[in-house]
Amino acid sequence: MVFSSLTFLFFFLPLTLFFHYITKNNLFRNLSLTIFSLIFYAWGEPLWVFLLLFSAIFDYGNGLLIAHYLSKSKLKAKWILALSIIGNVGILIAFKYGGFIYDNINYFITLPFERPTNTLPIGISFYTFQTLSYTIDVYRGEVKAQKNIVNFLMFVSLFHQLVAGPIVRYQTIEAEMENRKFNWADISSGVGRFCFGLFKKVIIANTAGELVNKYLENGFNDLSSPEAWFGIILFSIQIYFDFSGYSDMAIGLGRMFGFHYDENFKHPYAAISVGDFYKRWHISLGKFFRDYVYIPLGGNRKMQLRNIMVVWLLTGLWHGASWNFVLWGFYFGCFMIMEKLLENVLKKTPRIIRHCYTLFLIILSRSIFYFVDFSKLKQFIVKLFYNPLPVKDAFYTDIYSHVFWFVLVIFLCIPWDEIIKPEHYLRKKTELVYAYAQPVVNALLLILCITFLIDSTYNPFIYFRF
Amino acid sequence: MSYIIIPSKQISENEKRKLTQFPAWSFDSYLKGIWIDSVDKFVNDQAPFRLQSVAFASTLNYYKGFHFPEKEKIVSVKKPNKLQPKNNSANDTTSAVRRYLDDFTETAASSNFLIINGSVFTLNSGVPSMSKYFADMLNKYARELKNETRVFSCVPPLSSAFIPVKKYEFYNKKNQETLLAIRAGLSDGSIFCDVLGELNKHTDKKLFFSTDHHWTAYGAYYAYIAFCKQAGFEPVPLESMTKKTKYNFLGTLYELTRDKSVEKNPDTLDYFIPKVETYAVTYKEGDLSYPYKTDVFCERCYGGYSYSTFLCGDLALIKIKTNVKNGKKAMVIKNSMGNAFSVFLISHYEELYIIDYRYSEHNLLNLIRDNQINDLIFAPSLYAANAYGTIQRMYNLGFNNGLVRQASLKARLEKDSIFKNAQNYKDSLELIDKKLFPDE
Repeated sequence: MVFSSLTFLFFFLPLTLFFHYITKNNLFRNLSLTIFSLIFYAWGEPLWVFLLLFSAIFDYGNGLLIAHYLSKSKLKAKWILALSIIGNVGILIAFKYGGFIYDNINYFITLPFERPTNTLPIGISFYTFQTLSYTIDVYRGEVKAQKNIVNFLMFVSLFHQLVAGPIVRYQTIEAEMENRKFNWADISSGVGRFCFGLFKKVIIANTAGELVNKYLENGFNDLSSPEAWFGIILFSIQIYFDFSGYSDMAIGLGRMFGFHYDENFKHPYAAISVGDFYKRWHISLGKFFRDYVYIPLGGNRKMQLRNIMVVWLLTGLWHGASWNFVLWGFYFGCFMIMEKLLENVLKKTPRIIRHCYTLFLIILSRSIFYFVDFSKLKQFIVKLFYNPLPVKDAFYTDIYSHVFWFVLVIFLCIPWDEIIKPEHYLRKKTELVYAYAQPVVNALLLILCITFLIDSTYNPFIYFRF
Repeated sequence: MSYIIIPSKQISENEKRKLTQFPAWSFDSYLKGIWIDSVDKFVNDQAPFRLQSVAFASTLNYYKGFHFPEKEKIVSVKKPNKLQPKNNSANDTTSAVRRYLDDFTETAASSNFLIINGSVFTLNSGVPSMSKYFADMLNKYARELKNETRVFSCVPPLSSAFIPVKKYEFYNKKNQETLLAIRAGLSDGSIFCDVLGELNKHTDKKLFFSTDHHWTAYGAYYAYIAFCKQAGFEPVPLESMTKKTKYNFLGTLYELTRDKSVEKNPDTLDYFIPKVETYAVTYKEGDLSYPYKTDVFCERCYGGYSYSTFLCGDLALIKIKTNVKNGKKAMVIKNSMGNAFSVFLISHYEELYIIDYRYSEHNLLNLIRDNQINDLIFAPSLYAANAYGTIQRMYNLGFNNGLVRQASLKARLEKDSIFKNAQNYKDSLELIDKKLFPDE
């Protein structure tokens, strides 16, 4: 199931809220959340829900065992941790990268068996990382192992963040698992956050997506240089609003049930360097790799440049089972290293230039992200920079007919909360107005989004028979 | 709440399709994801205030910026959003699959449309390399029916041939290339009607609708003239037919694009009734025992259904008896483009059989021989004449005993396909899967 669907908005969410708040009994609440979350997952993956259950129970057991042996025999604890790591990474590799690995080996040596053809289980990249971070944290003594299996299952499968993140650490919700209070302010801000995320997804990301489809997919062969840039800028818009919209919805949903997750995006397109960008985009993933790969490898104390590259390559690979994602990771790894080396030069450069250079790099990197096929990617890069094809009139029409929308997009990308300090009069006034207007704004956004969602299901056929 | 109280709607008139009803449960369909999919479709299709939402959304879309109807605009048909929440399928065959799916279901085969001054044109000119297969298929019929029946090809161009913008003029030539490639492939006495050549002489008239993908009665009339030239008939002048008009026709391309400038430019449907007495019946697919009375012209069809004025829409088989006592009989193999064209033929034949190859399950060769058909006319759209699925289907109607249902399509294709040596034949076999076909 997806958040931006009528089934979720009309049925699933109201029912889940109802069963959650119908009683104050925490066990019942967690149980109902877990059951609903499993239904949510099974809705999209009727078969792979069992893999999710297996993965959760596997690490539930590991967590308990590690906690048990931590005080008795550190070696045994280490072995179980190794088991957990191998298990989780193994599942991920098998189900996500199976075909990719097969293709690469098969290129050199013909393999005697068939290529694995399973579909990718939704959310596998998220829940394997989530349970892995749990067992590592138990080993490090940062969290206590969860004894209640329902609670643990809830942690893994919670529908807010299972499918599209953020990667929630066990520490973040450890306390809230047992202690959630019914709080109107939380619910209200949760609903507001959710509606805002839905707005980003349905009205911004989907619109951008249609244009991306028109230019980069259907119209690829006739692209002129400005059109190519237009297409990739729109893809950058789409991917940000889509992803951050989902994170907003996840955080909003969490609030509605009394959970407080960490922010996952902090206006990434306002970044002034690649390093800065990394701290603003998909923050939970960045933190995961920092805490579990970068620092164990030595962080910035030992062989920093190598560590940066390893982290970025893995980040790239995490996004998809294809070489273009690895290339994407390598691209950013190089620039990150370059920035570290030229740190002093960069500090002296005016902020605006740093911002433009960062945006340019990011937008360019989106093309590596979009085109899975290398030959198409090569063609596209050529189209961006050295392209004699003329611009079509229809291109100007597209720009005119989206002028106000573009203004809205730019407005939403600007980090207003960083520019206008909390003490400032304008900010205080806005927050006050918003506090009163919130229910109305939420309702409006919701109606708007539902309208567009219904519209997107409108599917006219061209022939007459029915 | 409204899902439980208000009974489910059955049909969407604007979308011209059945709306999904609540699906029956079965564990097997759950495992395959079909039940869940159907529930989602049910929720979507039965959403309250559906049409109002669509109208409201198109108004909101309008206010995203500025619009100039006289400037050209290109619209892409909605495709599934590439960015799913981290759900990249490890093996993305959806785009290749969709290409073949389009062949079979004939949803908009062109992915881009041009809108200018409130008129919608398709931006596609067919696939010349595929015309050869269409011609081959006709030749097989010609060989089989040698000395019994004449075989004609009356394929019209696409609306792209008549885009009134200078830089798109080359589409006219490209359409002609695709059509002439058919002529180049014809043999064994098959006759080619130069429909585009005739249409090009009358570009001052409105040949295609602005809001619909079909041609007007005028476009069909000139195709009829092109046919008469080859068949040796004297075409009946339009003035000697009864002219009627229907207004406010907003057709399929309006529904597909929902464009405001198109909405403000509805079509007028002129139709011409030859002064011939007719008695028309239709039969259910494959069954010739129960004829149902029907009409050659549907006077009651208005609004979005206006094009159904011709032959009352797409029926599997229509048999028209006329008072033209010359003993001549014809059969037209067509899709919806052929409707406006076929009605002109009633002036020249005592009996006219009109077959929509998409829905017919009749054995063509039997029908032709049992009824001693003199002229067999193929008049599908150019898309259909250039697509594997439809060419094979037209072939199967005669040579593989008619009925070709999706389940056995793969078997049929393997057994006797005119594409046996075609390059993409093997690819097309692999991609055809029962699960991909939408439910009727």
